[in-house]
Amino acid sequence: MASPAVVDISRWQFAITAIFHMSFPALTVGLSLFLAVMYTVHLRTGNPLYLQIFRFWKKIFAVGFGLGVVAGTVMTFEFGLNWGRYAHAVGPILGVTIGMEVITAFFLEAGFIGIMLYGDGRVRPRTMAFSCWMLVVGTLLSTTWILSANSWMQDPTGFTEVDGQFRASNWWHVLFNPAFSYRYPHMLLAVLISAAWFIGGIAAWYLVKQRALPFARRTLSIALGVLAVLMPVQLYVGDATAAFMGAHQPAKLEAFEGNWKTDNNGYNLIVVPDTDKGENRFQVGIPHLGAVIGKDLSGKAHVPGLLQTPKDERPDMWAPFYGFRAMYFTALAMFGMAFAGVVLRWRGRLFTARRFHRLMIWMAPAGVVAISGGWITAETGRQPWVVHGLIRTGDAVSHLSVGAALAGLIGFVAVYALLLGLWIRYIVRTVRTGPEHLVTDAATADHPTEISHA
Amino acid sequence: MLDVASYALLLFALGAYVLLDGYDLGIGVLSLFDRSDQRRKEYSELIATAWDANESWLILAGVVLWAGLPGVYATVLSGVYLPLIVMLLAIVLRGTAIELQSAAPGYRRGWGLVFGLSSLVVTVCQGLVIGAVLSGLPHRGGVFSGNTWDWLTPYSVLCALGLVAVYLLAGAAWLQDKTTGTAHGRAGRLGRPLVLAVAVAGLVLGFGLSSADPQHLRFDQPLRTALFGLAVAVAVVCAAIAWYGFGRRPDWRPFAAVAGAEAAGLLALVAATAPVVVPPDLTVHTAAGPHGSQLFLLIGVGGCMPVVLAYNIYAWWVFRGKFAQPPALPDAAGPSDTAAAAERSAPVAPPASDGPWAVVVARRVLLTLLAVAVAAVSQDVFGGVGVWIDRVGVALFAVTALAVWIRSDHRSSAAGAFDLQAAER
Repeated sequence: MASPAVVDISRWQFAITAIFHMSFPALTVGLSLFLAVMYTVHLRTGNPLYLQIFRFWKKIFAVGFGLGVVAGTVMTFEFGLNWGRYAHAVGPILGVTIGMEVITAFFLEAGFIGIMLYGDGRVRPRTMAFSCWMLVVGTLLSTTWILSANSWMQDPTGFTEVDGQFRASNWWHVLFNPAFSYRYPHMLLAVLISAAWFIGGIAAWYLVKQRALPFARRTLSIALGVLAVLMPVQLYVGDATAAFMGAHQPAKLEAFEGNWKTDNNGYNLIVVPDTDKGENRFQVGIPHLGAVIGKDLSGKAHVPGLLQTPKDERPDMWAPFYGFRAMYFTALAMFGMAFAGVVLRWRGRLFTARRFHRLMIWMAPAGVVAISGGWITAETGRQPWVVHGLIRTGDAVSHLSVGAALAGLIGFVAVYALLLGLWIRYIVRTVRTGPEHLVTDAATADHPTEISHA
Repeated sequence: MLDVASYALLLFALGAYVLLDGYDLGIGVLSLFDRSDQRRKEYSELIATAWDANESWLILAGVVLWAGLPGVYATVLSGVYLPLIVMLLAIVLRGTAIELQSAAPGYRRGWGLVFGLSSLVVTVCQGLVIGAVLSGLPHRGGVFSGNTWDWLTPYSVLCALGLVAVYLLAGAAWLQDKTTGTAHGRAGRLGRPLVLAVAVAGLVLGFGLSSADPQHLRFDQPLRTALFGLAVAVAVVCAAIAWYGFGRRPDWRPFAAVAGAEAAGLLALVAATAPVVVPPDLTVHTAAGPHGSQLFLLIGVGGCMPVVLAYNIYAWWVFRGKFAQPPALPDAAGPSDTAAAAERSAPVAPPASDGPWAVVVARRVLLTLLAVAVAAVSQDVFGGVGVWIDRVGVALFAVTALAVWIRSDHRSSAAGAFDLQAAER
């Protein structure tokens, strides 16, 4: 058995690299769709505003996508690097799923991103639009496959076990496992929403600074429109996902609701759990709300507690609880802002409400925060299992020395911290520079393609 | 039989990677030796359109290995942990450098240096990995069981040097194909010494393999010997063509020859070692995954492969011919805040009057309550009463929001809020 230190180091390494990687697709999946729509609208209407939006967001998208790709390359190899036993056991199932992701999604993205980023002026506008849409298909396929793979780890179905290795007995059940049907829509909405906040937040910054106003108004309106439609749906889907996972992984729900004994009908806001004693040292909650959220409008039902789960199958309460709070509270803030956006729109004040714009700037990273919180809940709440009910995380690691594992962890922390800084600096600089002017005296709106070739 | 097909797929992906990412890594290393900033920027631009696609072959090789031969994946990846981690970190830095360099307006010497050095590190690490795998890794129960530094052997170091030479050769050949002027001339002059270096590396590594490899190469089967001989002969011929082609027209010939030589070299290696994948005893058959997975993998990946190749070729074709600076886009006339003054007067809806403060407060309280109610409905809280309530409610809110969005967009548009030309004039 591997030493506990190697398990812990490997878990930290995977958590850090996964969250870092995730924060890029969290933006670029939605951005690719946004860019494709903007370019298509430009193509159809010839309105230079949409070309301006496309060119500006393409700059941020290019770097974000590149970082996401290289950080994702790391993930593909990490399964075997640190989690050799896991890789050997699930390779026949998850290796195939991720193999399909590579062949259908990665290559599609990689093949067309070159054209999309560097083809402006070299290929026909129609080809540009086609490449943009192919990129969207690629990112969506990628989201699909990876959610399928992860959902199988959450709630495995359709397999048999032979000599400690899992084999698919029914590929349909493996790929479209029950957890997938809940978690996929939830994640798909999440990436669209987080891109919308990012776009809206930056648009709001321009409105506050009174710069590039048509650009800012147009993108703010689109972002908030998408958010107003999707946020209620996302809350509903998220609730269904939580209920499903609670039924299939009771320990996860018990941990993220922050109760030990099943005697609380409230909703916990803050807890300080004491894992050894099996109780909370400190907790703050709203009475009856837990029962109401659990669909008991009388407010009496008790929220299940973690003591219901045997001690050696309990996740650590800290991470799922606060991961869930990070997701949920951010989601409520997002919902409130989207709601306020609808009201302001109704009253014709969307582009003049200064306080709202200032708040919007702070919401720019909200989607990424919520997605990270959600994934922390999903992954830490599944512990001590790596594949729920089948393989324990402690039994999944490679035969590594502590020194080698630690060196890897330090390397990733150092490089990723640097990259995060560079990425944020790049965004700030690009936003400060602002979208470029497109309308010159020579070009008119009647000849949009002339503009892109000039 | 299926396991052999999986192995062939793996070799195909690996070969494509070595050829394609090989040239862009080679160009990265070559950029370290070019003093002209303008040409360095050109090298980086030259591969900016393709590095992502080239690198995808590495990921494909990785996952085909995982799905098709999980025994090898689990043994090799943890067995050569440190070089692989360093390689991944270098890949991360390299991608960042290419993208940030390409997004930057001018040439950034720092990014150029990161790009070149990380290309070198990636190459060296890959050479170490190949050397370590060829000289064998201990394993037990499908996973690696050796020590942290097992990968560091004289043979793996030689492999690293050899791979640097191979990638440099591919890089020089690509440069001759894609560039003009000084870079083109340099590539032509560099080519022949590099062909020589690769030939020497091939000889040293080929003869070294029999002493590094714990299992003896078996040349007693005629088919194996014939294949090996044929592959070596093809490699020699291709090397000769490359030697002849450097510095001469047509410019694509050296790269085609290098591609042929690399494919033949890989084939020779496989002919000498198959079915052993990782010496001493990890063979294709013992490491293979179950039948069903192999089948799914081969149908899925194999079925998509023609499509993948088609659009990869298309993407290559779009940027075919000599590298040219991208056509100038319309001038970015600097930051757009100069337009702000004009925009302030742009017509937007006049602010509505708020009325007495009591009305304002009452309206805000009501709106807050409404928001809480909408949130509760969206949270499926009333699902306890009637299953349909929340679904219908959510649909209603989404449709309402959409309607408000469309209505207000029409109004703003009519009021000229989105009129770029009016704002910029």
